[in-house]
Amino acid sequence: MLVLFETAAGYAIFKVLDESKLQQVDSLYKEFETPEKANKVLKLKHFEKFQDTTEALAAATALVEGKIGKSLKKVLKKIVAKEAHEQLAISDAKLGGVIKDKLDISCVHSPAVAELMRCIRSQMEGLITGLPARDISAMSLGLAHSLSRYKLKFSPDKVDTMIVQAISLLDDLDKELNNYIMRCREWYGWHFPELGKIVTDNLAYCKTVRKIGDRTNVAGSDLSELLPEEIEAEVKLAAEISMGTEVSEQDIANISHLCDQVIEITEYRVQLYDYLKNRMMAIAPNLTVMVGELVGARLISHAGSLLNLAKHPASTVQILGAEKALFRALKTRKDTPKYGLIYHASLVGQTTAKNKGKISRMLAAKTALAIRYDALGEDTNAEMGVENRAKLEARLRQLEDKGIRRISGTGKAMAKADKYTNISEVKIYDPSGDSTIPSTSKKRKIEEVEEPDDAEPATPVSKPKKAKKELVTEEETAEAPEETPKKKKKKKKDKKSEEAAEEAAEVEAKEEEMEVPLTESTEKKKKKKKKKVKEEEADDE
Amino acid sequence: CVAGFSPRGGGRGGGRGGFGDRGGFGDRGRGGFRGGRGKCPSPGITGVVMQHKHSRPTHLGVLGTCVCVCVGVFICRGKEDALVTKNMVVGESVYGEKRISVEEGETKIEYRAWNPFRSKLAAAILGGVDQIHIKPGAKVMYLGAASGTTVSHVSDIVGPEGLVYAVEFSHRSGRDLLNVAKKRTNIIPIIEDARHPHKYRMLVGMVDVIFADVAQPDQTRIVALNAHNFLRNGGHFVISIKANCIDSTAAPEAVFASEVKKMSSENMKPQEQLTLEPYERDHAVVVGIYRPPPKQKK
Repeated sequence: MLVLFETAAGYAIFKVLDESKLQQVDSLYKEFETPEKANKVLKLKHFEKFQDTTEALAAATALVEGKIGKSLKKVLKKIVAKEAHEQLAISDAKLGGVIKDKLDISCVHSPAVAELMRCIRSQMEGLITGLPARDISAMSLGLAHSLSRYKLKFSPDKVDTMIVQAISLLDDLDKELNNYIMRCREWYGWHFPELGKIVTDNLAYCKTVRKIGDRTNVAGSDLSELLPEEIEAEVKLAAEISMGTEVSEQDIANISHLCDQVIEITEYRVQLYDYLKNRMMAIAPNLTVMVGELVGARLISHAGSLLNLAKHPASTVQILGAEKALFRALKTRKDTPKYGLIYHASLVGQTTAKNKGKISRMLAAKTALAIRYDALGEDTNAEMGVENRAKLEARLRQLEDKGIRRISGTGKAMAKADKYTNISEVKIYDPSGDSTIPSTSKKRKIEEVEEPDDAEPATPVSKPKKAKKELVTEEETAEAPEETPKKKKKKKKDKKSEEAAEEAAEVEAKEEEMEVPLTESTEKKKKKKKKKVKEEEADDE
Repeated sequence: CVAGFSPRGGGRGGGRGGFGDRGGFGDRGRGGFRGGRGKCPSPGITGVVMQHKHSRPTHLGVLGTCVCVCVGVFICRGKEDALVTKNMVVGESVYGEKRISVEEGETKIEYRAWNPFRSKLAAAILGGVDQIHIKPGAKVMYLGAASGTTVSHVSDIVGPEGLVYAVEFSHRSGRDLLNVAKKRTNIIPIIEDARHPHKYRMLVGMVDVIFADVAQPDQTRIVALNAHNFLRNGGHFVISIKANCIDSTAAPEAVFASEVKKMSSENMKPQEQLTLEPYERDHAVVVGIYRPPPKQKK
C-alpha cells in the first residue's frame, strides 16, 4: 500500500513495508516512537519538492478546494506508471474520490489510515530524509502567509464592501455637514442675523457668506449667480438695517474657511453619491432597477453583504430596518410593521397610504428575486429587474382602480354598477329646535312631540350635562319641592344615571304635570313658569 | 505601572481586588518568589526575581519587581499589579497595551501587560489554573485566533523556539492576524474554518497543546477533530467554554458538565476546570490531556 502525505515542502509518497502493523490501530503509535522504528514500517518512495512558492501556493489552494493540482497530478502519474495495483492511502476522502475518477487509482481512507497519518506527522523529519526540520517550518510559514494573503485578497464577496463603506460614509457626511452648516449659520448670525432668515438654502448661504464677508460689502457685491433677484434685493436691504455686531477681519477669515469646508464637503457628497450610483449599477443592477440605488445600498449595508442579503426570505427583506418595531410587536402580540427600509422605494412612495402595505409586500417579493439573481447569477444585466418592475407597476395600477374590477371571482369581469337616478332631496330647517323653553299651547303640542325627541337624545349618559341638569332641576322642582337644596344636589349627582333612564317616562309625567297646571289660564301658567324659572335660578345659585 | 485594565464590557473594579486576593499564590507553591521552587523552575528566571526583589524604579516607566507565575508569564508588582509577558518584538505594542521596561544589570527587558478582561487565557491564569501547558519551546495550536491579541502573548511565552498555529476564519480579523504574524515569525496564520482540519493539513505539524476559544456550539467536536489530526499523544488541550453560546437556556454548570462529558467520549481526559469569575460571566476553562500514556501497572 502506498501513502500520500502532503507537506509544505512537497509531496511525499511512502510505501508500507509491513501491512500487518496497520491492523492494530491502537498500538500503531508505538511503532513510530523513534525514527528508526518508523523507518521499519514505512519507506519513502518518492519526494516531489515544490520548485517555488507559486507552485506551493497552487498546490495548497488545490488541496483546500479538494481538487488535484498540477504537481499532484505529476506525482501520481509517476506512481501509476510504476505500481498500478497498489492502493493509495490519503487523508481526504473527497480527494480520494477525485483521484479515482481522474486517474483511476484506487484510494483508501479509514480510521486506520487517519492513525497512520498522525504517526507519519509526528515523525515527519525522521521519515523524510534530506529535509531538515527548520526547512519544513520555514516553508510552512512562507506558504501559510502567501495562502492567507491570497485568501484575503481574492474574496469574491469583497466587491460589495465598497457599497457598504460608501453608504456609511454618505450618512457620516450628512451628519457632519449638518453640524457645520448649523455652526456657520450661528456664527455668522452674530454679524448678520437677517441673512439666515432670508436665505434658506444651506449651500447658497455658505456661498453668499463667502462672497460678501463683512456685511458692509453687500451693497457693492454682485450676488446674481448665487441668489435669485428678489432675495438678493432683500439681502441688500437687510444689510443696511442689520442689528448684528461688528466683527474683525480675522473672524471673517475663519468663517470663510468654515464656509469653504462646507462647500467642499457638499461637492464631495455629490461626487460620492455618483460613485455609489455607478457601483450599485455595476454590482447589483436588478436591485437598483427595482428599488433605486439608495434603498438598494441601504439594504445591502444592513444585511452586511449582497450574499447575506440574498439569503434572507422576501418577508425579511420587506421589514429589514424595522427590527425594533417588529420584535416589540411580536413580544406584545400586536400587529407587526408592514415595511422597513423598503418604505423609501419610489414604488411604495407613490401609492396611497391604504395600498402601501400591499405594494411593499409585492415589491419585497420581486426584490428578493432580483437580489438573488444579482448575488448568485452569472451574467449581470438588468433585464429581469426591468421586467419585474413593469409587472409591479401594472399591478399597482390595478390596485388603484380596484373599485372597477370585481374583487371576488376571477377578477376579470367588470363589476356591475347601478344606473344613475337623480333623487332630489331638499331639507327644510325646523325652527322648533331653537328654544327649549315651551311657550304657547300650539308650541306646546309641538313641544310634546319634540320634547320626547329632546329627552331621548339625552338618555345616553354622555349627553350634555347642562341639558340634563336643567331637566333634572325641573323634575326636582316639579316632583318634590319640599326637599332641601342639599338633598336635591345630592340627588342630582347620584341619580343622574337613574334620571337618564327614567327621563323619558318622567318627562312625559312632567308633561302631564305641566299640563295640569297649564290647563289654567295661560297667564297663571306663565307666572308659574316664571316662578319655576326663578326657583331654578335660586336653586342653581 | 499599569493604570488598571479597561474591561471590554461593563466596568469591573473587582479585577484588581481579586488580584490582591491572589497574594496566596505563594501559598499554593506556585510562585517562586516566596522562596519555594514549586512550578517555577529555571534558576535563571528566579535568579532575576531574587535580585530584583527590592530594587526600586530608576526612572519613569520602569517598575519594581517582575515575578514569575507560570513559566514565561510574570506578574509585575508596583503601584498596581499586572500580568505581563516578555515582549518578543521590543518597542512595539500589538493592540495598544502598556509596555514595561525592567533593567537587569546591563540589559533592559521589555514586558507587555496582559489584560485579563480581554483575554480568557490571562483570566484563567489569574483565576488560579494549575497548568496551562504553554511553555517556552512548545508547539501550540490556537483555534479562534481573532485579531491576534492573545496569540501575541502566547507567542511571547513560547518564544522563538516554539510555534503558534493561529487558525481564524473571519477575513477582517484575519487581516489583523496577518499583520501580527508579520512581526512575529513564530506565528503561522491560517485563514480557514477550524471545522475542516484536513484543509490546512499541509501547513501544520504535530503540536503539544491545543488552545480553543472559538465560541461555537459544536466546539468540542471541532477541538476533537483537530486533536485527532494534530495533537500528539499525551498532549494537552485548554478549552474556553461560554455557556451562553452552547445552550443559552440551560444552567451554566449543566452546560459545562455536558461539555466535559462530550470530551471524555473523544479520548480527551479533562483534568481541571475553573470558572473565569470575576473577569467573565458564565465562562469556564477546561484543561485536559489527550490520549494519556497508559499507567504503568505496578
